[in-house]
Amino acid sequence: MLESILSVLILGAMMSAIYALVAIGFTMIFGVGGVLNLAHGGLIMIGAYAFLVSTSSSVVGSIAVPTLLGLVIATLVTAVASYVLYGGLVRYIEDNVVITFLSTVMVALLLTELIHYEFGSSPRTLLPIADGTLHLQGVGTRINYMYILGFVVSWIAIGLLWYYVSRTDEGRSILAVSMSERGAQLTGVDLESVKSRTWLIAGALAGLAGVFLGTLQTTSPEMWLNPLAIAFIIVVIGGIGSIKGSVVAAYLIGYLEQFTLEFLGTGYQGIFSLVVLVAVLLLKPEGLFGREFAHE
Amino acid sequence: MSSETDTGRGIGGRVSGAAGRVGGAAVDGLSTVTEPVDRALRPIATVYNRTLGGYFGEMNGLQFVLLVGAFLGLVTIPFWGNYTLVQATWLACIWGIFAMSWDIQSGYTGYISFGHSVLSGGAAYTTAMLLNNVNAELPMRITIPISVLIALIIGLAIALPSLRLSGPYFSLITFVAVLIFYRLIRPLSEYTGGETGLGGIETVYSTDPVMRTYAFMIPMLLIAAALLIVARSNIGLILVAIRENESAVEAAGINATKFKIWSFVLSSIPMGIGGVLLAHRFGTVTPGAFVVVDNSIEMIAMAVVGGMGSILGPLGGAFLVIMLEDVVLSGFESEIKWSILWLIVLLILVFARDGLFRKLWHGLDRLGGDRR
Amino acid sequence: MSVLEVDGLTKKFGGLVAVDDFSFEVGEGEIVGLIGPNGSGKSTVFNCIMGIYGVTDGAIRFNGTDITDDSTHEVVNKGLSRVSQESNPIDSMSVAGNIKLFTLPNSIVSLRGGASEEEIYDYAARIDIEEHLHEMPDELPHADVRRLEIAKSLATEPEMMLLDEPFAGMNQAEITELADQIERFREQGMSMVVVDHNMGGLMDLVDRIVVLNNGDFLAEGTPEEIAENEQVQEAYLAGEGL
Repeated sequence: MLESILSVLILGAMMSAIYALVAIGFTMIFGVGGVLNLAHGGLIMIGAYAFLVSTSSSVVGSIAVPTLLGLVIATLVTAVASYVLYGGLVRYIEDNVVITFLSTVMVALLLTELIHYEFGSSPRTLLPIADGTLHLQGVGTRINYMYILGFVVSWIAIGLLWYYVSRTDEGRSILAVSMSERGAQLTGVDLESVKSRTWLIAGALAGLAGVFLGTLQTTSPEMWLNPLAIAFIIVVIGGIGSIKGSVVAAYLIGYLEQFTLEFLGTGYQGIFSLVVLVAVLLLKPEGLFGREFAHE
Repeated sequence: MSSETDTGRGIGGRVSGAAGRVGGAAVDGLSTVTEPVDRALRPIATVYNRTLGGYFGEMNGLQFVLLVGAFLGLVTIPFWGNYTLVQATWLACIWGIFAMSWDIQSGYTGYISFGHSVLSGGAAYTTAMLLNNVNAELPMRITIPISVLIALIIGLAIALPSLRLSGPYFSLITFVAVLIFYRLIRPLSEYTGGETGLGGIETVYSTDPVMRTYAFMIPMLLIAAALLIVARSNIGLILVAIRENESAVEAAGINATKFKIWSFVLSSIPMGIGGVLLAHRFGTVTPGAFVVVDNSIEMIAMAVVGGMGSILGPLGGAFLVIMLEDVVLSGFESEIKWSILWLIVLLILVFARDGLFRKLWHGLDRLGGDRR
Repeated sequence: MSVLEVDGLTKKFGGLVAVDDFSFEVGEGEIVGLIGPNGSGKSTVFNCIMGIYGVTDGAIRFNGTDITDDSTHEVVNKGLSRVSQESNPIDSMSVAGNIKLFTLPNSIVSLRGGASEEEIYDYAARIDIEEHLHEMPDELPHADVRRLEIAKSLATEPEMMLLDEPFAGMNQAEITELADQIERFREQGMSMVVVDHNMGGLMDLVDRIVVLNNGDFLAEGTPEEIAENEQVQEAYLAGEGL
């Protein structure tokens, strides 16, 4: 029993760190532009597949870069994809919430079909950046090194982001816009540029998340839906546009999932977090740290 | 609530604005021919307008011909269409029901539901589970009402708590509803048949394509008529007002939440009927065909392509999409087919967000001489 | 018996006290002016009365019935209607359509109810916009959009109207015209509260003025008394001029 709980505590932290990576980008875009980017899961998918293409010679015979480089490539590719998604599509339709919802869903579905076509529907395995597992004697659990790496990467990313957003002018302008678009505009902030940058950063985080999720779980054309669901569960619970909220909520949900997994098995995975989401939506829709959805 | 970006309506708006002006000029040119045609048809249209117009909406001569022509063509399909077309029609009727049901709620009130497939899926699974877990001999006159009732109950369960939230939160809850439903199927696979689903549902008239067509078409037409009557009545007016300006509705002494819930009820019942029809079309019920989020999104795509908030637009959209899927694009590989479809929907969302059939309708207005 | 009784109304937004123990009454057929500098809480009072905000403390009674916790549509259906400060028309519907909405019954089974075309014409005529019935709200000049707001309010057949800054954005001629129309409503039996943040339009119109400052009751009296009240003058100087 004690071992189970310790195992949950440790694994939960690992999983939560990755969830945090998944959710932060989503909340930034929602907070800054009021856009529910339902293609977010698709971006995560791009990250995973970009890693696959660059590191595995099974896809494009001549390319097989070391996995660490693959991680960088995946992050960059996804960041660019996100930037293009904003600049090439969302920018023109973000005035209409409904059309934006629907369009980003269409993009996600399009991506699924294209990836289906190019890579087939069966799940792929990604070459792990850090291979093997750590055996914790006292607790009796094995932790995949990728989880540990993911934990570290996640906190480094959060740290970098926090620094950027609170200490640099560019980053602070992002926070300003998420609090009040008009207010930020009045102080001379270039909305377009802030939004583009936000999408870029969110894309990079999604790319990172994609590599880890793809390695630790599966890489398949269907992998866009679950991370998307996790992302908005976390974002709503944590509070729209609140990075701190996303991190806290990510750990809440991560632990909830881990408990469910440990004590109820895989069958019920994913249900309780949905129930918690519904409860939060009904009782405290602004989430733990957020404001009402009143993007003005 | 729109953000005041410099791009304003954006490229999509500018392109469709420009296209509109070019198209408008062309249409005005054409109208020298079509206006007399419209005037010739006016007497029949006026008869219709005076009798049924109050219930279903008025139209000019050209629109009347279009609708009557489409109706006649549709009803006679089993006699002039090839088998692929006829089969596609069955699906189109069912998806038409889904799209119209979605529209009376989401299109009219603006509270976009991503979870409508829970309603149809719920009804379909009820039928399947009754036949598989209770009694395989249960007659349709028992399974169908129970299934539709379950759809209604699910609809109320979703609507009552969530319709007092604002739009995007409501949409999220409906999205979550589908996910919860889907995720419950595997753990409860003893009753639900898990990934492979359940079979044993009677496929009506499986040997008689003509009767089969009417088995799907008649409910669709009845539902279309009923929803049209509601949409063109005061209720429709209130629902549209909720979409445009909910606080004005409250200030008018009308309980907006009550009407939002009512629209969901009005939507749930035909969704249940459609779900039942779909189950009887295929004889089996699987999560992939009935419950996944993609199904909800397809319904929305059909409605948007046709024109949200018009009932007939989504019906047309459903036919368009199904015909594209099953007839026009059927030769392509599955992934290419769907890619093309989603791309088309995306383009329509960006450049013709009011919907194709709505544009057609307004085009016919102008061709008939109405320059508003 | 007074038509409207606001009794010890307090409204807090988190730590901010917008209205503090504020009371006033309106008798039948009275036109009461509610004034105060910007930010004094006038619109908040209206929002509390109309059920848009929940009340932190106090009670609101309409014709003796407690309406403190009623939702907006319930308040309207009891006969109390508000013309809001910002014009709020539904742009996709014509002027007639906008008015018609306000006549529809609150019934989910009523397909055909609401006012007839003549009745809608009458509502529009009471406020002189009957020529614009088939126009769209964005085609109307500002003063007529404000009139549409009043027509919508009239269409709910209220016993009492709350007018929130009805004269805002109008020139002197328009103000005089509107004041006359409002006076005519009173002759037809309507009680009213008119909010404004300056006294100009109100002097000849209202019977009594209640002054609100920083959420607190400041003074009450005839327009002449208030105009000479030093406390009121100070409150305004601290904010803006009378």
